[in-house]
Amino acid sequence: MAAGALRGVLWPRAAAGLRAARAALAAPAGARAASEMSQDMMPGPYPRTPEERAAAAKKYNMRVEDYQPYPDDGLGYGDYPMLPNKSQYERDPWYQWDQPDMRHNWGEPMHWDFDMYIRNRVDTSPTVVPWHTMSKHFLLFLSIMLIMFGLGEIYPSYRPVGPKQYPFNDLYLEKGGDPNKKPPTVIHYEI
Amino acid sequence: MAWAPPPSAAKLYRPNRFVSLPAELDPATFDTSPEKLRAETERLAIRSRLKRQYLLQLNDPSPPAVIENPALIRWVHAKSQNVYPTFRLTPRTSFLGAVYGLGPLLFWIFVLKADRDRKEKRIQEGKLKRSPFSVFF
Repeated sequence: MAAGALRGVLWPRAAAGLRAARAALAAPAGARAASEMSQDMMPGPYPRTPEERAAAAKKYNMRVEDYQPYPDDGLGYGDYPMLPNKSQYERDPWYQWDQPDMRHNWGEPMHWDFDMYIRNRVDTSPTVVPWHTMSKHFLLFLSIMLIMFGLGEIYPSYRPVGPKQYPFNDLYLEKGGDPNKKPPTVIHYEI
Repeated sequence: MAWAPPPSAAKLYRPNRFVSLPAELDPATFDTSPEKLRAETERLAIRSRLKRQYLLQLNDPSPPAVIENPALIRWVHAKSQNVYPTFRLTPRTSFLGAVYGLGPLLFWIFVLKADRDRKEKRIQEGKLKRSPFSVFF
């Protein structure tokens, strides 16, 4: 699941890292835009000891039991918590959120893919029909239609036809024939 | 003969990456154990503390110009500036880096070169119609 979420994300990450490195060269290390948050309130490296985990859980406003960082694969998550992959559609529409359009409360830890799970984008709410049933129906329909259309292209079937017959000696004058010359006679019938 | 019990509705539903299990089929909804109650109470305590902080700032008679959301700042920092320090070269990351970094480049190099070689071959054989160059089609 983490691999699937990462697939389209690695290359812009490397670009962002390069930009950050260039920015770090331009400004002193640790400098950030004016904000009252100290460096220990910011995300950091993967927590190794239980004390680091407890401190990270407190930093992210989560319970220690709820806090689960992404596995330490070296992919750049650090100690960011791994929240369930549910979109904002699934949150209660009737609760008084601090930000009602985002269905998000102030200070609540945001999902890594929060910008994907907003209500204008990906929706993971449960469907009436299970996903495997829907995909089976759709793929069966699509494949049957494509196969039948393909067969119709390979083995066409229509009533017998002949070449089209044009009047006025095969449209001699319309096709640019000389009006002073007698056109070649074209007869399309047999008696 | 004892048959196995039929699969539960949750198993029949098979939630995946794109849909989650409905709350009605999830056994955790109907779990009323004291552990769950304690967990919910702790989460509620954290939530109300945060809401209190937010509402105090919001309804302040001389409110700050911008109410910063520390969760948002942390999220932005984690996605932009915390990636390079926590990145590590492992077999998987180097493989993925090669695939995403060099893969498209080499793919397009070979496709375009093969296409142009084929066109050159057709020109040499005289099969390609070379119209005089015009900017106006």
